[in-house]
Amino acid sequence: MLIGTLSTHHQATGVPLSWYLALSGAMFLLGLLGVLIRRNPLLLLLAVELMLNASNIALVGFSRYWNVSDGQIFALVVMVVAAAEVVIGLGLIVAVYRQRLALDVDALSRLKG
Amino acid sequence: MNTLAAAPPIIVATTALLALMAGLFPQRLVRREGPTVIAIVGMLVAAVMSILLWGNRIVALGGGYRIDHLSVLFNLIFIGCAVITLLLSVNESSGVDRRGEYAALVTTATAGMILVAGAGDLIMIFLGIEILSVALYVLCALELWRERSLESGLKYLIVGAVGSSFLLYGLAFLFGTTGSVNLTKIGASLTQASFNTEPLLWIAVTLIIVGLGFKASAAPFHMWTPDVYEGAPTPVTAFMATATKAVAFVAFLRIFAGPLIDIVHTWQIAIGVVAAVSIIIGNVAALVQTNLKRMLAYSSIAQAGYLLIGVAAGTVQGAQAVLFYLLAYAAMTLAAFAVVIIREREVDNGEDLASFSGYGRARPFLGGIMTLAMLSLAGFPPLSGFIGKFLLFGAAAEQHLWWLAVIGALGSVISLGYYLRVVGVMWFGAAGDPEPRKLLNVSSPVTLSTAACGVAILGFAAFAGPLLTVCQQAAMSLLSP
Repeated sequence: MLIGTLSTHHQATGVPLSWYLALSGAMFLLGLLGVLIRRNPLLLLLAVELMLNASNIALVGFSRYWNVSDGQIFALVVMVVAAAEVVIGLGLIVAVYRQRLALDVDALSRLKG
Repeated sequence: MNTLAAAPPIIVATTALLALMAGLFPQRLVRREGPTVIAIVGMLVAAVMSILLWGNRIVALGGGYRIDHLSVLFNLIFIGCAVITLLLSVNESSGVDRRGEYAALVTTATAGMILVAGAGDLIMIFLGIEILSVALYVLCALELWRERSLESGLKYLIVGAVGSSFLLYGLAFLFGTTGSVNLTKIGASLTQASFNTEPLLWIAVTLIIVGLGFKASAAPFHMWTPDVYEGAPTPVTAFMATATKAVAFVAFLRIFAGPLIDIVHTWQIAIGVVAAVSIIIGNVAALVQTNLKRMLAYSSIAQAGYLLIGVAAGTVQGAQAVLFYLLAYAAMTLAAFAVVIIREREVDNGEDLASFSGYGRARPFLGGIMTLAMLSLAGFPPLSGFIGKFLLFGAAAEQHLWWLAVIGALGSVISLGYYLRVVGVMWFGAAGDPEPRKLLNVSSPVTLSTAACGVAILGFAAFAGPLLTVCQQAAMSLLSP
């Protein structure tokens, strides 16, 4: 099976695939754990980013194993997508923050009136 | 020459840019009406283009995009949903000063959907889903002054991104198992070798089901659905409940009913269990809702369960039933949301079930449409919802998935409780306390699209025969490499 052959296939040319997979699996679980236990939206975005990049490592590792470039192109696409997602996320967080702020200011002025 | 096949997504994407620019024009009339008109015209052109390509089988963009019966059928579903959404949002408060962005975002999301429907490789599936998701995150939060809208957008973003990560990780493992991102090549390599005991493939299948489960809002990955559906502007909710759900299912079909069809045993039970859980949780939770948008959200979870039954069957009949039910589901759900949108503009808490008390007697036309939608969602013969469910359960039974068919039928019985309650409140409830402030003249685009949904519910049932032939051709095109 694949896992078994992984270590022998490209052993001569560098890091074996199983190491890539172990790293990416650990990163994915770490990100998932972060999503589950964190409550700050900024940290949630960070955790999701970790999960996406775990996939990138797996993609690049597999790409090297099969000696095709598809996986690397996929990883590049994922980077662009992840950046777009973070931009939207930060924009929304700023919008929420501003709205809360505005509400507080409103309350203050009402007390004065 | 092959690029011609990619015309529908290219036209829709260009339309999005034009609509965005029209929203910046100095003339007030162009700024207000231009984007919607441009978006609708552009998408209709793409729809005509798709119809012209019907019957062809062309691979474009280096294998990344393909035109076949399935992608053409889904192009029409997506464009239909998007056009009706735009018509329903005419004069909607969320878009007063941001018509351009609104039309452009809906159009961009549609372009992403079209890419998923015609995806020829894993990259395109992921890219398409992300294009539409990112556009929808913004659409949900479009009413920046309303805290719930922002919360809905942020929640959807976080959960959607987690779902995307699962999907992406699954796709990465699928690529890793087969060594190719091309769906045709994946299918070929999976038939060649015996992958029964391949752990990587099991991981891939599980992760993809989880990821797409998030997108299709199937239980147990549905937690976000009621909150997001309730908080988002109602036309956006209607769009999410119909078009986005259809995207998740076209992705399910493209991956599972296409290249993975030969290893059906690795995923059939898993998808079946997700379907069963969705049907039970969705229907039971919908029973206790008093907010119509939340009720429709739980109803959409249950409907996702019914649709997954067809995917789990893993046959052409199953895929055909999914396609037909998606058509019917889009019409029923859009009709229900259209009535909610109209009611919301009349009274402040128009999404509460209480505000519909006696509404049918006050407005027989809208009451009739809502009744039609509810009865069809519940699966009353001879409406299109019944035909779809019948085909779905039949496809499951044929594959000896009796337990799924039985759970589906039981779920339908439970669902009578809440669908019929809406009908009862509308026609027999005491004349509503929150009377319409004034008998607003519903603007003609809104009336037109509401009526169109009602006609579609009846039409899909009346012309079920020819429609099923079309669905069958589309389902067959999944199998040809």
